[in-house]
Amino acid sequence: MKTKIYPIFLIFVFSIIFFVFYKGLKNSNIYTPDVKSQINIPKFQAKDFENNKTINSKDIFLNDKFYLLNIWASWCIPCREEHKFLMNLHKEKLIDIIGLNYKDNHLKAKKFLDDLKSPYKIILKDLDGTIAIEWGAYGVPETFLIHNKKIVKKIIGPLNENSILEIKEIIK
Amino acid sequence: MASLVGYYSLLSGFFCSFLIIYFSIINFNDTKILDKRILSFTFFQFFFVVISFFGLIISFVVSDFSNETVFNHSHTTKPLFYKISGTWGNHEGSLLLWLLVLTLFIYLFLLKSVEQKKSYRILTLLFQEIIIIGFFVFLIKTSNPFNYITPIPKEGLGLNPILQDPALAIHPPVLYLGYVGSSIIFSSALAGVTLNYISKDWAKHIKNWVFISWIFLTLGILLGSIWAYYELGWGGFWFWDPVENVSLMPWLSLTTLLHCILVLEKRNILNSWAIILSITTFALSMCGTFLVRSGILNSVHTFANDPERGLFILIFLFILIFLSFFVFFFFHKNENKTLINLNWVSKETAILINNWFMMYFLIVVLIGTVYPIFLEVITSEKISVGPPFFHKLIIPFLIPFLIFMAIGPQLKWIKSNLKNKLYLILFLIISFILTVLIVKNLSINFFTNTILLTAAFFLFFITIRDFFKKKFNNLSQNIAHFGFSLLILSILFNNIFSNEIITNLKIGETFVSDKFKISFKDINQKDEQNYKAIIGKFEVIDSKGSNLIMSPELRIYNQPNIVTSEADIKTNLLTDKFMTMNFVQNQEYFNIRYQIKPFMVWIWISVILICFGGLISLFKKKYEN
Amino acid sequence: MYGRKVKLRFFFVFLILTILSLSIFLILKSLEENVVYFKSPTEIKILSEINNNKIRIGGMVKENSILIEEKKLKFVVTDFKNEINVVYSGVIPNLFAEGKGVVAEGFLKDRSFFSATKILAKHDENYMPPEVKKALEEK
Repeated sequence: MKTKIYPIFLIFVFSIIFFVFYKGLKNSNIYTPDVKSQINIPKFQAKDFENNKTINSKDIFLNDKFYLLNIWASWCIPCREEHKFLMNLHKEKLIDIIGLNYKDNHLKAKKFLDDLKSPYKIILKDLDGTIAIEWGAYGVPETFLIHNKKIVKKIIGPLNENSILEIKEIIK
Repeated sequence: MASLVGYYSLLSGFFCSFLIIYFSIINFNDTKILDKRILSFTFFQFFFVVISFFGLIISFVVSDFSNETVFNHSHTTKPLFYKISGTWGNHEGSLLLWLLVLTLFIYLFLLKSVEQKKSYRILTLLFQEIIIIGFFVFLIKTSNPFNYITPIPKEGLGLNPILQDPALAIHPPVLYLGYVGSSIIFSSALAGVTLNYISKDWAKHIKNWVFISWIFLTLGILLGSIWAYYELGWGGFWFWDPVENVSLMPWLSLTTLLHCILVLEKRNILNSWAIILSITTFALSMCGTFLVRSGILNSVHTFANDPERGLFILIFLFILIFLSFFVFFFFHKNENKTLINLNWVSKETAILINNWFMMYFLIVVLIGTVYPIFLEVITSEKISVGPPFFHKLIIPFLIPFLIFMAIGPQLKWIKSNLKNKLYLILFLIISFILTVLIVKNLSINFFTNTILLTAAFFLFFITIRDFFKKKFNNLSQNIAHFGFSLLILSILFNNIFSNEIITNLKIGETFVSDKFKISFKDINQKDEQNYKAIIGKFEVIDSKGSNLIMSPELRIYNQPNIVTSEADIKTNLLTDKFMTMNFVQNQEYFNIRYQIKPFMVWIWISVILICFGGLISLFKKKYEN
Repeated sequence: MYGRKVKLRFFFVFLILTILSLSIFLILKSLEENVVYFKSPTEIKILSEINNNKIRIGGMVKENSILIEEKKLKFVVTDFKNEINVVYSGVIPNLFAEGKGVVAEGFLKDRSFFSATKILAKHDENYMPPEVKKALEEK
């Protein structure tokens, strides 16, 4: 009798532990970091800068193609510095550049683009800055290189000759 | 290319498992001697895994970014040393390393157990192959280190700079040697139960494996601690973080097992203890892998993880646990050897009592670690269990534990008497007086500190006495126990005499307290290969007027872009002076932390002494018998 | 002779059971006292009573909210629904920055004021508390 109780009891206890661990696996973990630089790009909706239409993120980023997502704002001085690099990339037609206009005034942003020309294929508006947070962005400017809906590279701060060369090497 | 070779080599190794199992089963009832083919296939399996591992190392060294693992964890600008250590610094590579050690150990086991019974060797091999197959499937199915990516990226994503540290580079392999060593003990215990072979002979044979895994596990934990102290810049070495606890649990269980095996070898008692502990140790090692790799734990040391992998380890872990239950309850015959005659005053009683204490510590750590998971599943309340929980439950019981640890070795096996043991009381009184002299001038909790220090000093003096009294008799045990007393003393003094200042300073400002004056002189910039350093210059003047220049660093790494603090640590035999500097976004202030930590080096030294004690026992039979 | 041994055995079993139940009681009791709950600013807003227990709060550091003085650091933690003011003095981890996730441990003074004793450092730069992520997804 005694010899049977022990195994049954133990198996019962361990089955419960198994169940709890199994459940626990599915729970989100409060401290788990999102490794943004290696996983899929976030899904989001945003308004188009030009015509205020709502665009879905999955309609912008197609597979098998490289994209550059550039976070910018008219009030950001380094954005003006990096603008010429984006324009060059745009002229060479190597890659589609998506702009994310971060916490900006529409008129000022428009003037910025009128002055400096737009390298962007599409510009999205991020009025309250939440989209940038979803991307795990540090601040403005910041640029993401995207391939197959995955972030391949992230450049924090303004682009320069070196980062442009690196981007060109990756997309070659 | 190297990846391709590695991958096919891995598959060949997997294939070997089936051949080994096939030949083992054929050979089991066949002849008296072990089939040569089994041995050679075990070697081939090991050989294939080695090739596969080298394939991965080469991919890392030549920065072959067509390999996904390399792409995710390496970068061309990384120093060669970290390219190589990056091989096992990630999930896929670390599992390959597990497998490598698993196959190596079973091969060594077969070589070293020639004088054992054939059936026992084959059964151990079979149990071990079950574990090995589990790891092969896990590796190939969910975390293949040789995944191919197209188009081939030109540059990798880099290794988290906080992991670029020499101590951490060798920490995983050493820890794994300990974990995997416990798998051999597990398999051999199961084989022993099946054949009813858990006896003196078995203890004698498995003892060396227990010691080897114990030494590596201890060293592995030490290295992790050293890394936390030097690299994280939190000024501590143990935080009761779940990831740390997870490595402590198998250690506690293995230490208990080690003492049980010694008793089993001498007295042929505690057989069930030894079996259960062998199973527990390995289950806890696997559990550790599960908890760390699945991300189920709320740890500050989290690394990227994937629930699918967690599920696999979880199922595998429970298959092994249920398998061992089955074996234990089905085959284990407790023959009730004329009701074990334990004398109250004997070495084995002292060991048994301390084993119970260690089990208690184990349960405390286990509950503190997994309780948050249970609570979250049941009530979806998110919690964490902090250091006070562990301190409160462990420290009071450390006192009798230390005293038994001192008295135990003074007793004889089987039966001992208390005559001529007056010196024990004498030493206790000396320790008490010494403690009171130290504690009374300090503004700390008198009661607990006094008792704890007394107990630690007691063990300290008794072991020192034994060095002179017993000379080389039982040297290994003496060194290990002495190391432990030193460890407890250093930790206590470290806690009692630590001094800390945290303040925010601008360049040119000076912080003044009654003990120190810290002036922030200036900052310099320096460009290095893969990071930019901002080096602060501080002058620290203490109350005695001696001054010291400290220069902590901030490092801004480029790949990936991460800021880390390099603490400036000035170490000498008595104290460590420790300063870190952090910067606050968009502010002129720097956050400064200055700590004085006495006896820091002694913590490391004492753990090394403990390991050294274990090491000696590997060689001791040569002169003891 | 045999009877004495059986008695001894009973005594042992009894002893072990007592010790076991005692230690489990001890463990559970101190668990209760030393557990640190994790709350988001929204959960704090709807808290029925404020006690003196240590808790952890998590959220994002609000943009332009960091204010630093010699002795302390003030900032606002938000989950984009509710906010809470935090005062802290102590070590500031490197990954602490505006617009980034943060976990702080300390004591709640009232529903909008938190006095932190520790800011938890993370190894990973991309950490975001899931509460915040969820709140963002719901938007």
